[in-house]
Amino acid sequence: MKKKIEPWLFLFPVLLILLLLFGYPLINSVIMAFQNYKLTAPNDIYFNGIENFKKLAGDPDSLMILKNSFIYVFVSVIGQFLLGLILALALKKRFRGRGLYQSVVFLPWAFSGFVVGLIFRWSFNGEYGVVNNLLAMLGLTDTNIAWLGTPGFSLAVVIIAMIWMGIPFFAIMILAALQSIPSDVYEAADVDGCGTMRQFFQITLPYIKPTLITTTLLRTIWIFNSLDLVVIITDGGPANTSQTLPAYMYSKAFGSYDFGFAAALGVLLMVILGVYALLFLKVTKYDKAGDF
Amino acid sequence: MSRKTKNAVGSIIRVVILVFFFLLVVLPIYWIVITSFKASGEILDINNLTYFPKEFTWQNYTDLFEQFHYGVLLKNSVLVSVTSALVVTVFSMLGGYSLARYKFSGKQAVILFFLITQMIPGILVIIPLYIIFSRMNLINTHLGLFIFYVTVNLPFCVITMRSFFERIPVTLEEAARVDGCTKMQSLFKIVFPIMFPGIVSVFVFGFIGAWNELIAGSIFISTPEMWTIPVGLKTLIGKYNVEWGLLMAGGVMALLPTAIMFAVMQKFIVEGMTAGAVKE
Repeated sequence: MKKKIEPWLFLFPVLLILLLLFGYPLINSVIMAFQNYKLTAPNDIYFNGIENFKKLAGDPDSLMILKNSFIYVFVSVIGQFLLGLILALALKKRFRGRGLYQSVVFLPWAFSGFVVGLIFRWSFNGEYGVVNNLLAMLGLTDTNIAWLGTPGFSLAVVIIAMIWMGIPFFAIMILAALQSIPSDVYEAADVDGCGTMRQFFQITLPYIKPTLITTTLLRTIWIFNSLDLVVIITDGGPANTSQTLPAYMYSKAFGSYDFGFAAALGVLLMVILGVYALLFLKVTKYDKAGDF
Repeated sequence: MSRKTKNAVGSIIRVVILVFFFLLVVLPIYWIVITSFKASGEILDINNLTYFPKEFTWQNYTDLFEQFHYGVLLKNSVLVSVTSALVVTVFSMLGGYSLARYKFSGKQAVILFFLITQMIPGILVIIPLYIIFSRMNLINTHLGLFIFYVTVNLPFCVITMRSFFERIPVTLEEAARVDGCTKMQSLFKIVFPIMFPGIVSVFVFGFIGAWNELIAGSIFISTPEMWTIPVGLKTLIGKYNVEWGLLMAGGVMALLPTAIMFAVMQKFIVEGMTAGAVKE
């Protein structure tokens, strides 16, 4: 009997905290999504059915914001994935100073979205920014581009910042997977006269596939939910053209204090992520991602 | 192509790639550091962008401390980050040990539950928490922020700690028990010392998670004496006026502790991050 209780005893503090401070608020949020809940009118809170969702469907900006979110997530994930993969492949072979090199190149992982956002907002500044200056010096442009004031460009800057920040995570994960491939597999392939490209597609890729799948899944979810870069770099501007779903939630909840509407957005976000995770695991035929 | 030239071409490509990524990371960092040492006149000189300060100055840093009271922000950030990271580490050790060493029904469900917490948008939890914290008078307190950071950083840290425990053979613990150690003794004298780098990296995960957090901080904290570093610095971004010099100096100061931690602990942190994802 004692044996059965022991593991739960050790887990108790963690589970208690998560249930109280994650589970309970979450249930609250879902309820709130079906309520008229405005912080500006605390005495006027009542259930209003699917009013919030109707408002969401009727919101002229919501479709654009949904589209922005998909572009932001898709391009960021692809960018981080490819660049991370290239960096990891380059780091696979040992060389002198590799540890030191990694300490520098992996640094952005430890950086806050807040400071990364600042760096990119400052670099892409329309008047004083270094990017415009470099482009002009290279003779590519003759007038300053208002990066953060132009629809399309502003979202692109957020995406560039997100890619920059996320390359290390992908590189670290993929590198670890690469290093776990036994070297004799490659030796055998060499003896058989298997070329570099074929080795990559027939040995390396299949070996690291589980890591690629888990990492991409976790990262997609994480990027979808992250909002500090958007908040710092563009604050959704100009006119919501770089707004993403969670950043919009933030501004609805703590800008206009419409908690009910914000919660409805959040429920939509969760549904999208849930469907995505299920589809992703189904398509990739991977069932062990629950193992992290 | 002969094998030799093929190898040579391969090395050149590799060097080019490595240099590219080095510059990609270093140049933006160079830019924030160099801007922080420029006088504001030089920063906002439209016609003449300098790639190295004409006049090297500590002005932004002294202003940051003397006018913006950065010392207070620093103290608040250290307080919240260290305490929450400590608690996260201890609870992760307990939870991680349980998940690594016991077989019990419901274990898979617990792990799935941790995964699901990673899928939930933080802001969706923050909204109701804001109401709950208001009722409990936890708004605008460090205690509220501490509780929140412990909660959000726990799931990842527990799972990471589990994989550190899994790397240590159970036989080691059993041998200690045979030699007359109690369970606690075998943990404290044998297991924890071996795991020390892992324990420290979990602490670093918890610390960085809290140190870098902006959104919950700016929602839960409102008075300047209570601000953490990102929350305080964000107020320097006005609608029409952005204090770039101060912001860049503040940004550099905010990056320093995490950058040093990462550089020193890189090997272990990387091990910690990958421990769960890559099965050897």
